[in-house]
Amino acid sequence: MASISLKNVSVNFPIYGAGANSFKKTLAASVTGGRFGKETGVAVVQALSCISLELKSGDRLGLIGHNGAGKSTLLRTLAGIYEPSSGEFSRVGSVASLIDPSLGIEADATGLENIMLRGLVMGLSKKDVDKLLPDISEFSGLGDYLAMPVRTYSTGMMMRLAFSISTSVKADILLMDEWLSVGDAEFTEKAERRMKDMVEGSGILILASHSPDLIAKECNRVVRLEHGRLIED
Amino acid sequence: MSQAHSNLHRSAWADWWEGTRRTDIWWTLAWFDIVLRYRRSMLGPFWLTLSMGLMIGGMGPLYASLFGTELSKFFPFLALGIIFWTFFSSMVSDSCNAFIASANYLKQGYFPISLFVWRSMSRNLIQFGHQIVLYIPVAIWAGISLKSSALLVIPAFLLLLINAHALGLLLGLICTRFRDVAQIVTSVMQMAMFLTPVFWLPESLPGRAKYILWNPMAQMLELLRAPLMGNVAPMFNWYGILGWTAFCVVAAALLFAKYRRRVVYWL
Repeated sequence: MASISLKNVSVNFPIYGAGANSFKKTLAASVTGGRFGKETGVAVVQALSCISLELKSGDRLGLIGHNGAGKSTLLRTLAGIYEPSSGEFSRVGSVASLIDPSLGIEADATGLENIMLRGLVMGLSKKDVDKLLPDISEFSGLGDYLAMPVRTYSTGMMMRLAFSISTSVKADILLMDEWLSVGDAEFTEKAERRMKDMVEGSGILILASHSPDLIAKECNRVVRLEHGRLIED
Repeated sequence: MSQAHSNLHRSAWADWWEGTRRTDIWWTLAWFDIVLRYRRSMLGPFWLTLSMGLMIGGMGPLYASLFGTELSKFFPFLALGIIFWTFFSSMVSDSCNAFIASANYLKQGYFPISLFVWRSMSRNLIQFGHQIVLYIPVAIWAGISLKSSALLVIPAFLLLLINAHALGLLLGLICTRFRDVAQIVTSVMQMAMFLTPVFWLPESLPGRAKYILWNPMAQMLELLRAPLMGNVAPMFNWYGILGWTAFCVVAAALLFAKYRRRVVYWL
């Protein structure tokens, strides 16, 4: 059974600009007894503030909010990338994160090599990847292109590849950041079906999107983020 | 503000082990780093061998005549010096970028950061493998006979790897947070090259200057080079390096335990 629980979770980003990041300033601050320290005071962006959220199996949550509202940060926190600055976070179940598909794709490697790399990085063994390979290549529909370097792919083709790999393993929790829209109609349909299959069992889907239609279609619960705060709809 | 709690939290030790255990991931990543870098060149990574060979071949006779030493004595010394030094310095400078260069993975999912230190280490090991082979013809030409003391190179190399891992974590963390430390490291390494008997013979140092042989780079180099030339490194090198290693490991462990999950915020 998958579950996610967030209690008063905040995520604060220190923003180190060209100035504050430098060793020089920190050194100057320590040498001058901290008089320069005030100037080096690092700007902190509170990307998420006091988020409380409970999700259980079968929940399909839509995240909406304007740009910079904290949707992606929330997804990343759920994926375990950012350890919350404060609050309690617990998660049960395996995660497939489709947050930014182009991350972790090696442009000079071929499609097949990328499948291997990404599969390993997702925690599979080489044998597992070999077993999944036919499935993945069929689902991607890329055919002979898989033997070509990924830099020759179009954006849509890259998305297909990334989606096919990321969803090839059954996960309990699926995190998605708005990108079903990229493929062509045929692939979008296929992808939607696969997504439903994954979530149907006992999964949780969290989908960040700007498209009300998509959210209405895929989700049974919607929350809005505003300036890092959660506003339940 | 309340303290953060998460059930994804692992102890530092478990985190380190998790990254270390996945040999297949970091080895494959390192392998691809090399493969992709040289994919479109005909010689591939053998460019490393070739350019190293040219450098040694060019500098050997020149420096031997500058120092007035016999070429057959100086050549193997210089070859090992340059090959090991290249290994040290590229390992150190890669350490500075270990996490920055792996940002695409770190920002995508949860990874124990030790994984990426192993990645940069193994990438450097592969490069080193392409260069150390050059020593074989040099040693045969110079007629070097190895004694059983040559086996001392094994513990020395292990110490080198421990040091490299500890420094990798340490510099990786610091350089991700303070972006100009990488520049400092580069210039320190440049200076260290001249303070280390890479190109010159330690015997030619006047008495008072001998203390520069206490720098950890010089000691590490001596420990690795002496056994491969049929000599035995003086004991003080072992003590020095063991002390240095202990210092690095403790410092790395402290920083790792404290900041391993903050790195993503700094990327």
